[in-house]
Amino acid sequence: MISANVSALDGSLYFTISLFFVLASFAGYFIFLFTGNKTIPKVSFGILIAGFIIQTAAFVVRWIYAYKIGIDTPPLVDLYDSMVFFAYVIIFGFILIRIFYDFDALGFIITLVASLALAFASFSPLAPSAVEPTIPALQSYWLIYHIMTLFVSYGAFGASFGLGILYLIKSGRKNKTGGWFLNLLPPSNIIEEAIYKVIVFGLVFLTAGIVIGAAWADSAWGGYWSWDPKETWSLITWLTYILFIHARFTKGWGGKKMAWIAVIGFAVVIFCYLGVDLILPGLHSYATPGSTPIL
Amino acid sequence: MKMLSKINKFFCSVKLAIFLFIAIAAFSMVGTFINQGDTTSQYRTIFGPEIYHILYWLGFLNIYGSWYFIGLTVLLIVNLVTASVNIFPHTLKAVFGPYPSFKEMMDKKSPKAAYEVVESKKNIEETKKVLNEKFGKPFSETETELYYSKNSIFRFSPYIAHLSIIIIIIGVILNVKYGFRSYTNIKVGEKTDVSYLTKNQKPVKLPFTIRLDNYQTKYYKDGIPKSYISKISIIKNHVSVAEKNIEVNHPFTYGGITIYQASYGHYRPTVAKLLIVNLKNRKLEKAVYAEFGKLYDAGINNIKFRFIPYKRPKRGEIPFFIELGNKRILKFNVLPYKNKSMPLIFAKYHDAVFLYTGVKSYYYSGVEITKNAYTSVIWLGSIILITALFFSFFFNHVETWVKLSGSKDGKKTSMEILSVPKKKFESFYKNFDKIIAKIKKDLG
Repeated sequence: MISANVSALDGSLYFTISLFFVLASFAGYFIFLFTGNKTIPKVSFGILIAGFIIQTAAFVVRWIYAYKIGIDTPPLVDLYDSMVFFAYVIIFGFILIRIFYDFDALGFIITLVASLALAFASFSPLAPSAVEPTIPALQSYWLIYHIMTLFVSYGAFGASFGLGILYLIKSGRKNKTGGWFLNLLPPSNIIEEAIYKVIVFGLVFLTAGIVIGAAWADSAWGGYWSWDPKETWSLITWLTYILFIHARFTKGWGGKKMAWIAVIGFAVVIFCYLGVDLILPGLHSYATPGSTPIL
Repeated sequence: MKMLSKINKFFCSVKLAIFLFIAIAAFSMVGTFINQGDTTSQYRTIFGPEIYHILYWLGFLNIYGSWYFIGLTVLLIVNLVTASVNIFPHTLKAVFGPYPSFKEMMDKKSPKAAYEVVESKKNIEETKKVLNEKFGKPFSETETELYYSKNSIFRFSPYIAHLSIIIIIIGVILNVKYGFRSYTNIKVGEKTDVSYLTKNQKPVKLPFTIRLDNYQTKYYKDGIPKSYISKISIIKNHVSVAEKNIEVNHPFTYGGITIYQASYGHYRPTVAKLLIVNLKNRKLEKAVYAEFGKLYDAGINNIKFRFIPYKRPKRGEIPFFIELGNKRILKFNVLPYKNKSMPLIFAKYHDAVFLYTGVKSYYYSGVEITKNAYTSVIWLGSIILITALFFSFFFNHVETWVKLSGSKDGKKTSMEILSVPKKKFESFYKNFDKIIAKIKKDLG
């Protein structure tokens, strides 16, 4: 039996409420794909913004609650917090993209990913929502900068993944007569440019996040780099996107290959984000009786 | 010479860079699935001797220090340098000129180019004025040609990004060469001036002595550790020169060497405290700190005894006993004692009662002792890298050529506008169309 681990006190209830907004938004975007009705995505976008505002409020409630029970560092360290934060940044990223580009077709992937993250946080027993005291290793102001920058980059890479999928769907059907779905998508070269811009945005933040992490490690753990699995996977992620920006200069690497790198890159991000903590041991999961810190 | 140019072509190719990114990422991955830096015996028990030998031979047990990992990194640096050096003159020319003429550019037939012919109802001079409003100040100008260049200075940012990578690597090399990372345990109350290198356990002599004055773990209400605190003193020439509490996230740096709280624990106890009571006069005879296995005098009737822990204690049994001088063994008994939490644990022999009051154990603190030499070089490189990435990603160099030809009466002008972006973005073409529309509106 699945039961939500929620409480109004620590703000987790509001995250669960926001999940239903995001789900409603997803349903709208999904119906839009089949009908092409232009008002539906507008309504969906409105619902999504409402969900985003609720999430923002939930964060405020949660931070105040954590502060009240004597935890100095913001609650961003355990699996629950990082999942809701991930959903938050990916929605934020989509809202930004949507303001600059006419990209309603991207909505269904973004809201799907965000719903999955929020649902996992709300219902998985692996991610209890209780605010836990911060273990000594994470009691530092570096924490907030480190996590914020990296999650902004994760959000951007999540968006690039969605765009990559759209591009591949579009290019896969190029020669057939365009159906209802293809007509809703922006032209391929617009998607291509968006993939590039979103990825380089994420890459700047990823680089900053890794450097901040290294500086923190230098001031807390005895060295800026220890080849700990999380560090190493962040390097692998970095190399993947560095490959992306260099591959553009190779002849014959058209948009399709670039879209594939965007999709694969996000798989690497997900492994770095979740896989490392769940599968590989290391400094980032150390000294944690009972809880899994996700950094 | 042909050979040399072939080698040059190989080392500066983007394909080589892509291969190296993939290879370095792949080997890095291997290193996360096989624990790095364990001891030989640990590896033998995990993998068995045969697989251990294969992994050892492949260098997979110390992959980040293996010759091929370092080799790939060196190759990447060579690739990066040759590629940059090869294209740099081209970039210099694109930024500072001499710029190609309109005709040269038309002959190139760049696939990225946007081209438009516009008829102006104004004469050449007035047309130029309007164009300058739209494209900015021309970089070069002749009677019939205009050349505009936007964001050209940012063409250098990729080079700066590459340079910053080299700065970071120089910082890393200097750090490895002149710094060290080491670890040691210090017992509470004791001091040391030797630590052990993290990479090979070799001892390293410190320029001062560290004494651990106290160690303490603080907890939250629900028992989760809140902080690990070691009080340390730095001793130089037998004089304490500094005192400091170190915690995780709050290390202490003295003379370029940083001491980090890394671990804690306690040694296995070696001493038990026993109270010896004489039953005859009900008097406490003496208190003995009995080192395990050592012979002591009870002070009553010449009784000699040893305190010995069982090697393999049985469940539910007191894990130690007393052996008397005459080899007789005394077992301990347990008696719940009033309302105190600790029961009375005692052994009796004639008039002598041995009261066990606990073992004395020593805490130690594990500290990482690090010389972080030249890390500022790494941070400098990193900051340059982030800045350079930002500028190379978000500023697109756009060049525009305009060829003007006036009509015979000099009242009208025909323009050919050719614009070429560095990055082929859809937004560039949209923007180009917008500018053209504006020009047509103003001059049409």
